[in-house]
Amino acid sequence: MPTLTPDEWQALALSLKVSFWATALSLPVGLLTALVLARGTFRGKSILNGLVHLPLILPPVVTGYLLLLTFGRRGPVGAFLDANFGIVFSFRWTGAALAAAVMAFPLMVRAIRLSIEAVDARLEDAAGTLGANRLWTFVIVTLPLILPGVIAGAILGFAKAMGEFGATITFVSSIPGETRTLPAAIYGYTQVPGGQPQAMRLTLIAVAVAMTALIASEFVARRVARRIRDG
Amino acid sequence: MRPPRHRQLLAALLALCVTAAPPASAQDVMIFAAASLKTALDGVAAAWSAETGGEAVVSYAASSALARQIEAGAPADVFISADLDWMDYLASWGLIDPDTRRTLLSNRIVLIAAGTDAPPVEIAPGFGLAALLGEGRLAMADVDAVPAGRYGKAALETLGVWGNVESRIAETENVRAALAFVALGEAPYGIVYATDANAEDNVTIVGTFPEDSHPPIRYPVALTADTANPAAADFLEFLGAAPARALLEAQGFTVLDPTDADAHAG
Repeated sequence: MPTLTPDEWQALALSLKVSFWATALSLPVGLLTALVLARGTFRGKSILNGLVHLPLILPPVVTGYLLLLTFGRRGPVGAFLDANFGIVFSFRWTGAALAAAVMAFPLMVRAIRLSIEAVDARLEDAAGTLGANRLWTFVIVTLPLILPGVIAGAILGFAKAMGEFGATITFVSSIPGETRTLPAAIYGYTQVPGGQPQAMRLTLIAVAVAMTALIASEFVARRVARRIRDG
Repeated sequence: MRPPRHRQLLAALLALCVTAAPPASAQDVMIFAAASLKTALDGVAAAWSAETGGEAVVSYAASSALARQIEAGAPADVFISADLDWMDYLASWGLIDPDTRRTLLSNRIVLIAAGTDAPPVEIAPGFGLAALLGEGRLAMADVDAVPAGRYGKAALETLGVWGNVESRIAETENVRAALAFVALGEAPYGIVYATDANAEDNVTIVGTFPEDSHPPIRYPVALTADTANPAAADFLEFLGAAPARALLEAQGFTVLDPTDADAHAG
């Protein structure tokens, strides 16, 4: 395999960092949201469901623009976070992670929600009759059963985050080493006369990363499934 | 099995999807134009439609993106680029009709600041742009690919300040996106065309880059090699006529006469 140039490493490393944090930080929220959507009965549930799915349906550039208006330096949430906690998303890699997390969230929630709905409620009831409280039941019964779904959701989310482009470039532009992720770098090269060879190299890297993630997820999901069956 | 009523609905929806895009009539022209032309060319397209009854559909994007699309076979009749390089690139592949090519417009690049009352900045060799930016970003179109970014980078290099601000630049995919970042106050300064700055109320032009600090900004126009649309040639002619000139000049462009334009083409 040919060695990567510093610019290619930079884009790849940044994409991995952005996608890792986007997935890691949205996973707990995604799990909770999936649980609420799968089990909860309350007014406004369909509105919550719609909101969660919005980034999946909206054009990414709209999501990016809404993020810019909300979390930008002058946006209501962005200004509040900056003034009170010193958290800035604008033109930072954290903003790219936020955009990736928002775009990946619906896919993650869908995968987890399906696995929760497939759990046999009688198993949870049985744990309850044996004296476990609801939280403990969730930890020792539900969570192991839905683990393959959670893993699938996390992998899907990670893959979506790796590929996110439209919302990211609209929200935090394209700054080398800060917000120029793999897709943004590929797009940049396609826009330069004679940039096709570099674009193609990065495209192959993106394909390799995506295939590795998919194979890894299949492997993990199979192991988990076997452990549950045999355990 | 779905009840038949649902199936009918589904069939109706499918039929709608298939027929919703009406075929373009011979009178319609598809124009691919640099993003910086948006405001002025919208007016020109409307004026042309009013006069001829045909419809001028304009797809705006960075010249680089449009050239790549035309290279890939996009159904454009007319291409208006914001620099000579991308037009030359298409010409080198025989994708434009060289006999129809001429240089239509010229433009300037300016330094803009967020807000409506920013103080002016003197743009001279070695001027203190890095100090003005502080922790903020300088919004520019992609400095390697998009014409507005390339002119901006060339000007900053000529003035000897590129090295100081290189790490502070937020690059966007086209010049209007850079304008939007400044208009929203996200970036304190940006480099855009004078015509972009005129189109946006929430920014102030704080300085104009000297014309000799960057290659001349020229907008060449040509018919694509593939077009067989008579309305396209008509639109090209309309671009140089008085009503279109007035609209383009009102936005801050300089409309070049065919004779000057020929001297610059190349």
